Amino acid sequence: MRKKGWLAGFVTLALIAGVMSGCSGGGSKGEAGGADAKAASSSGTVKLKMWGGVPPEAGPQEVMDAWNKDHPDVQVEYVRYVNDDEGNLKLDTAIMTGQDVDLFVNYSASQATKRVTSGAAADLSSFTDYNIDEKMGPEAEGWKIDGKYYGVPTTKSSFFVALNKDALDAANLPVPKDWTWEEMMEYAKKLKKGDGYGFIQNTEPYVDPIDSVLAKEGYTKADGTSNLDHPLVRKWLESLNRMMKDDQTTPPLGEQLTSKMPVEQMFLSGEVPMLNIGAWLLRSSNNFTDYPRDFKIAFAPVPRLEEDAANYVTRGGLGDYISINAKSKHQKEAWEFLKWYADGGMAPMAAGGRLPASKDSDQDAALKSMLGDKGDTYDQESLMYVMFDNKTPTFVRTVPQEVMDLRSQEYEKYFLGAQDLNTTVSEMVKRHNEYLKSNPQK
Amino acid sequence: MNNHWMRRQRRLGYVFIGPSMLGVLLFFLIPAAYSLGLVFTDYKFMNPKVGFVGFDNIIRMLHDKLFYLSLKNTVLFLVAVPVSIALGFVVAVILNQRIYLKKLLRALYFMPYITSGVAVAFVWMLLFQPKQGPINGFLRGIGIDHPPGWLSTTTTSMFAIDIIWVWFLMGYNMIIYLAALQEVSPELLEAAKIDGARPGQLLRKIIWPLVSPTTFLLLVTGMIMTIKTFGIIQATTQGGPGNSTTILSLYVYQNAFRYYDMGYAATISWALFIIILIITAIQWIGQKRWVHY
Repeated sequence: MRKKGWLAGFVTLALIAGVMSGCSGGGSKGEAGGADAKAASSSGTVKLKMWGGVPPEAGPQEVMDAWNKDHPDVQVEYVRYVNDDEGNLKLDTAIMTGQDVDLFVNYSASQATKRVTSGAAADLSSFTDYNIDEKMGPEAEGWKIDGKYYGVPTTKSSFFVALNKDALDAANLPVPKDWTWEEMMEYAKKLKKGDGYGFIQNTEPYVDPIDSVLAKEGYTKADGTSNLDHPLVRKWLESLNRMMKDDQTTPPLGEQLTSKMPVEQMFLSGEVPMLNIGAWLLRSSNNFTDYPRDFKIAFAPVPRLEEDAANYVTRGGLGDYISINAKSKHQKEAWEFLKWYADGGMAPMAAGGRLPASKDSDQDAALKSMLGDKGDTYDQESLMYVMFDNKTPTFVRTVPQEVMDLRSQEYEKYFLGAQDLNTTVSEMVKRHNEYLKSNPQK
Repeated sequence: MNNHWMRRQRRLGYVFIGPSMLGVLLFFLIPAAYSLGLVFTDYKFMNPKVGFVGFDNIIRMLHDKLFYLSLKNTVLFLVAVPVSIALGFVVAVILNQRIYLKKLLRALYFMPYITSGVAVAFVWMLLFQPKQGPINGFLRGIGIDHPPGWLSTTTTSMFAIDIIWVWFLMGYNMIIYLAALQEVSPELLEAAKIDGARPGQLLRKIIWPLVSPTTFLLLVTGMIMTIKTFGIIQATTQGGPGNSTTILSLYVYQNAFRYYDMGYAATISWALFIIILIITAIQWIGQKRWVHY
């Protein structure tokens, strides 16, 4: 008898808890709309909080100071969150629990989509005085969620292979403007010195070569099943494996991961001549105190697995998708700030490799501030090429984290020799299909 | 009157435990009940739509290969507990003798336990580095041409984690054993010595049985602590390479805070709870055979 009573109490508790959460979840959506109208009328200074992942000293603080000086009535405070699992969780919790978040930067389309589904990001189509498509160009399209903008993509993000120009010159190799995966492997072999490596990769863009293929060909086949067994995925696996084991031109992945290999430092110290990375390299390469360097850096697009250059898409396009919190009481002010930011207010961010995307911003000035007094330590022609002139179509990464992870878990096993190529591909496909089944596409 | 007094006493008792019970209720019981409720939903953090899915999560878990793999890894991780207890015991016995620098050594062995976990993880990662790490440097120095890859290969990573964990737990076990050894009555030892017992026999027949309640305590708490922990793995391998070091607690964490899949994470965490319960129950029943009071 006593036992039953205890159990009943427990179940009741669970139910109450469930109901309570249900209410709070539903309720928050209802009030999303009208709150902003009346708040603006209350006088005094408006305080806005903007959450972003860039360290304040790498630009944001300067941006905020500039705005705050000219707008005493709207003061913006920058809150930094680290763009990793914990950091994003912190931001999401802050948004969900109604802490002061007025603006927030999304760094991936999948994060942004998650926040849009939860009703956290305001639909920007209600603001009609700023045409995002026109300002940011056709590449903005990739950031539309269900056909609408829930944020403004503000930066031109570029991904590239950074090259040690001096090493290339010494080996008589030209700076490529378009190259295949095989050509890259040849470069790596020719540039390899002794026990060193010829090519290293930052782990963030590590999978971009296959994402480039899949973004073009589709992550699923026509029948809705996984396309992870695409021949070029195999080619990527096999060739990288060859580079690790036979050519020894790139570090074995297991070693790179568990030693948290400092790839930027290895490249900038001249130890490794090629590095697959993105624009954030500039943050380190401009910093001669921590990364002294005695060579010129040249830039090449990411090599393509695809034979046919016409079929190739490269990662890039636009980034730093800034949304306004749908629950913010100061959406109008946030919007004013956001427009100012996108149209040039963000210029100080260039020092960290973030170039403004808006056509109304002064891109030359941004480029200048990006290079600072280090301009002549870069091969500017190839830099201009990868940042602006390369007309290869681009894609934005949209793969869900679960799929990223299941892929990496399987290819790690392959690169470590713990499972063969066929098993790896079939496991990836199997797990991807399972994922697709339990998470049907909307 | 007696009855009345008793009742007042009891009421007063409730007043005293009230604050702490409130804490337990707010921060443990209600969240636990809430998570039990979550087991039957597809609640995803950030997603306002919550649906009741019955036993779907449980069925999914029972078909989830990664769940079983994490379970296996958890078992491999648990191996560290008895090893650290055995080593802790040996070190405690040695440090209980009259030896040089006893106090310093005790402090040194206990250090890992009070050191920051993340710092420890980074130091071990450096030590374990396959190419430049000092451990493999030493192994190559003594003539082993192909030393293990430690954290960097799927076959050795769990083993390497075990080493870190043994090193971490051992100091604590040693301190507790040292305390227990003080309780071993010198008369018993002396009597046995007079009867001609050798040191090995003393250890096996007298000291070990007398400290068996301590061993039991360390085993139970060590197991529970080991099953629940994931910080050390999160800081070193994040469950990799592949998923060779994904243990259940880490799998729960990943599902909850990486994929925001709260319903499924709650399901696995309840499975984890049941597993801890079963293991503890088995230990509790088994103790009657070897624990002497």
